[in-house]
Amino acid sequence: VDENVLVAQAVASRDVAAYSALARLHQSKVRGLLLRLTRGNHTTADDLAQETFLEAWRGIGKFRGESSFATWLYRIAYSRFLMQARKRRLDDQPAEWDATSPSGEDATLTRVDLERAFAKLLPAESAALTLCFALGLSNSEAAQALQIPLGTLKSHVLRGREKLKEILGERS
Amino acid sequence: MTEQELDAMLKQPLPERDAREFSVTLMEAIAQFEARTPRILAWLMLGILSLVIAAACAFVAKVAGRADFGAQSLAVPCALILLTLILSFAALQSVRE
Repeated sequence: VDENVLVAQAVASRDVAAYSALARLHQSKVRGLLLRLTRGNHTTADDLAQETFLEAWRGIGKFRGESSFATWLYRIAYSRFLMQARKRRLDDQPAEWDATSPSGEDATLTRVDLERAFAKLLPAESAALTLCFALGLSNSEAAQALQIPLGTLKSHVLRGREKLKEILGERS
Repeated sequence: MTEQELDAMLKQPLPERDAREFSVTLMEAIAQFEARTPRILAWLMLGILSLVIAAACAFVAKVAGRADFGAQSLAVPCALILLTLILSFAALQSVRE
């Protein structure tokens, strides 16, 4: 079934089945984004993802289709993350990647290396890069999702890229 | 590291996550959320119902002393019984939902 049809059904008649299908379609990406933002903390990331989808369900009637459904979900997910980060000082906690995943001994850069490098970025930089590259959003869509001006998003992307290049350059 | 290499790394899709357990938990949370309004309504009805029953008991106790069963004194208990029945039905419906 076309995603737009599912969205229309979920919005117009609060159709749980349609929303369930939408959640299945987007859960992996939302959880992936939150996992990166929480620096590899699976439990917190999945809890935040659950809250994101529940909040989206509560407010599904307010979805006007001004952005894509995915962008709307990412916006909720990022807001949830920021709220949680303020409450629990997630920034101060060590990245899970350091503790649990072994790094490659050779010079090849692995996903773990990338995630470790991401863990050293600011949440806004990490989110901007993930949305624009891994999740394929345009700059304006990513700015919408993070609720920041386009110029700010671009500077987050640039600064994030520079930091990553430096960190990964040292690694390789 | 070149710009191209960095681009290639950044464009790697995020690892695919299994939807099953996540979806089940989410659907349970949604079901709980959806059941909240009828549950609150049911408790509210129950509260009002208790008040109506208490009022009926007080009224009966009052008229029992007089033993006057005229048309007017019957109207109030009849209305109370009817209200009780309607509220019981509404509470039952809310709980069922």
